[in-house]
Amino acid sequence: MKRALAALLLAASAAPLSAGEATLLRGGRVVPVSGPALEKGDVLIVDGKIAAIGATVAAPPGARVVDVAGQHVYPGLIDGLNTLGLTEISSVPGSVDVAETGDVNPHAKAWIAVHPHSDLIPVARAAGLTHVLSAPGGGLVSGQSALIRLAGSTPASLVAKAPAAMHVVYPSGRGGFDLAQMFAEPELKTFDERQKERKKNQDKALARLAELLARARAHAAAQAAAAAGQAAAPELDLALEALAPAARGEVPVVFRADAEDDIRGALAFAAQHGLKPIIAGGLEAWRCADELLAKGAAVLANVDRLPRREADAYDAAYTNVLALHRAGVPFAIVTNDPSNARNLPFEAAMARAYGLPAEVALRAITLSPAEIFGVADSLGSLEVGKSASLFVASGDPMDHRTTVNHVFVDGVEQSLETRHTRLYRQFKDRP
Amino acid sequence: MNALLLSALLAAAPAAGETTAIVGATVLTVSKAGNLEKATVLIRDGKIAAVGADVQVPAGAKVIDGAGRFVMPGIIDAHSHAAIEDNVNECTNVVTAEVRIADVIDHRDVNLYRHLAGGVTAINVLHGSCNAIGGQNAVLKLRWGVDDPAQLVFAEAPRGIKFALGENPKRSNFSAPGPRRYPATRMGVSEVIREAFLEAKAYRREWQEHEKKAKAAGKGATAPVPPRRDLQLETIADILDGKVLVHAHCYRSDEILMLIGLAEELGFKVRTFQHVLEGYKVASEIAKHGAGASTFSDWWAFKLEAHDAIPFNAAVMQSKGVVVSLNSDSNELARRLYWEAAKAVRYGGVPEQEALKMITWNPAWQLGVDHLVGSIEAGKQADLAVFSAHPFSPDARVEMTLVDGVVRFDRAKDLAARSAAPAAGGAQ
Repeated sequence: MKRALAALLLAASAAPLSAGEATLLRGGRVVPVSGPALEKGDVLIVDGKIAAIGATVAAPPGARVVDVAGQHVYPGLIDGLNTLGLTEISSVPGSVDVAETGDVNPHAKAWIAVHPHSDLIPVARAAGLTHVLSAPGGGLVSGQSALIRLAGSTPASLVAKAPAAMHVVYPSGRGGFDLAQMFAEPELKTFDERQKERKKNQDKALARLAELLARARAHAAAQAAAAAGQAAAPELDLALEALAPAARGEVPVVFRADAEDDIRGALAFAAQHGLKPIIAGGLEAWRCADELLAKGAAVLANVDRLPRREADAYDAAYTNVLALHRAGVPFAIVTNDPSNARNLPFEAAMARAYGLPAEVALRAITLSPAEIFGVADSLGSLEVGKSASLFVASGDPMDHRTTVNHVFVDGVEQSLETRHTRLYRQFKDRP
Repeated sequence: MNALLLSALLAAAPAAGETTAIVGATVLTVSKAGNLEKATVLIRDGKIAAVGADVQVPAGAKVIDGAGRFVMPGIIDAHSHAAIEDNVNECTNVVTAEVRIADVIDHRDVNLYRHLAGGVTAINVLHGSCNAIGGQNAVLKLRWGVDDPAQLVFAEAPRGIKFALGENPKRSNFSAPGPRRYPATRMGVSEVIREAFLEAKAYRREWQEHEKKAKAAGKGATAPVPPRRDLQLETIADILDGKVLVHAHCYRSDEILMLIGLAEELGFKVRTFQHVLEGYKVASEIAKHGAGASTFSDWWAFKLEAHDAIPFNAAVMQSKGVVVSLNSDSNELARRLYWEAAKAVRYGGVPEQEALKMITWNPAWQLGVDHLVGSIEAGKQADLAVFSAHPFSPDARVEMTLVDGVVRFDRAKDLAARSAAPAAGGAQ
């Protein structure tokens, strides 16, 4: 009955979805990521999950059969760092919900504000992305991210996992970009003075963060005591309440850090305070791969970036993840770009062109991010029992010339229509 | 190893009579000759002497093994701000036609070396988009390693200037202290341009009359007093005389039509529309005006005026007869323009050679240097990029880049230099 109702609802929706209980993708090259490719095989989808994969799988009665001969079947791509759903037009503040005011916002939750009807979501999805980590940013404690499915019409239906992580901008003490300061007379200071100032700002911010974590733990203990009837309830503090699971190491903490000393600082801080660290950005992760390995921290890395230092090898950012791969540090390749999350496979391609094995590059945008965010039991590879979040492409997704022809999220085929295809159709034949 | 130090190894100028041959490569000529298998590119005196499968390599020529490699014309970026850090925008006035990018080139900007490592050999360094009429641009050849910024200048390239329409000259996404600068609307942007050209016309007339008088006065007579020289109006008058190419930053279709209308009213040509993200909506009008279009492959949604940007833009404009190039506007993106071109295949099915043209011959045409660079043909300057695989392939990596026949980037040398300085990182 529930399923019939769901089918009815889907049939009533405008998008040309196929919500058949069973779909068989027949005769494609199946690339499961978790194991070797099947040169010609079938994938059976039942009730949103992968029911069978094999050289030949019989179609159950009533199943929709999709001929994918000559095409390639891959698990859905996962962008492990983005603001998709929280950003529409980045220069228009009314359309951006990424950064709260103030520095400490652990209670800002991405899953409250992800916009299911964003024009950006279908664009990412049409490129084979099925899931994205949507994360708040800015300040010191930015808030909590959610791993979102790129299908659904309510924020709740978008959520695959929430919270996925707590997000912290590691305080470098350097001070961010300030447009108003661009027009100000620069203050004349020596290098040493600037370094001292930076260290002072950094120490202050870290002490503040440490205090917040201690207070969050104390707040949770006070709440537990109150619940057990041993004490009066502590004063309401939503920020501390939200921070407690991360403070206890139950929810990972994603530290934004690019510079080597910031990455090392974040790892040391996390170890000192019992946090479970993930490094986001990580432009100089290759400079401290051993430390990342020792601390068990994964890295969410962009590939298409300039080297951080003038004297660095020109391809330092391209080979960053190769160094992590060689050292055994877990990593995901990310775009951190809401409007062009569709370029995720091309960031992986650049790492591949500069030495990362092709299968590792593909893993870095599928199974690896699923592992990092603890959802590899259901996402990231084509395996029986996992979610049927997958796509069918004309070839290698890391090749720009490849086209994506079918995208399924949890077994439901998605429309490949976007704002872009609509405008293209509207104007391409205008005389 | 520091790229600056490495530059010393690569900086030798081409010796007269020096001959180099790239042998046994797949050559993507981006010309009528198409793609040539197992071909030779013969370079003499910095120019392409011959290209083909049956070219004889003269004795004494320096031979570069091209087996398994792909050679394409050096990539040309028609929209760059490299080598002018902190000197992109003279924002204090709405018309700054008098300022020149060529005066502020930093020839030691490491980004030039990084560009070469992405196969780029020439860039159009543009003034920023602060002003309705901005400063004059400089077209550079990436002769990394030279000691004088003037040696980077692409001497044969015609002069050019930056115009800007829409949100940037309106300054609508920026807040600086102090009172707002005029204009704050697209209406104002249009009037600023009209007024500047009408003033320039009057200025030109003044000078023409003066020259007529001076000529009539003849020798021995007291020379008439010349009008006061105005570098701003002089530059705009040069646009009217067709001596300066206009590169106009724009996004929305209405402002594109506005500038075409103004240009036709005032008697000048727009050489390129830059960004031109809604060019696909008015492609026929752009083609009719005779302007080129230099666009991003897929940037969108970063501003309200970029909300209707579509990745099919290049393909649609190309199909309507517009000469289209794909640019970077970014020191990072400039290093992978070959994949930006591949996106023209992905979005709209542009044939591969036409897509390659969008980063070679087409930008060369837009900068007025298509007779010199932009394709691999005998007689052209030897600006070449040597790839490890087809440039559109996900395994493609630039192995070597030549400018005027001189190897300005050589990955093998770069890698060798790293063993001496492992702190710089990168794969060994």
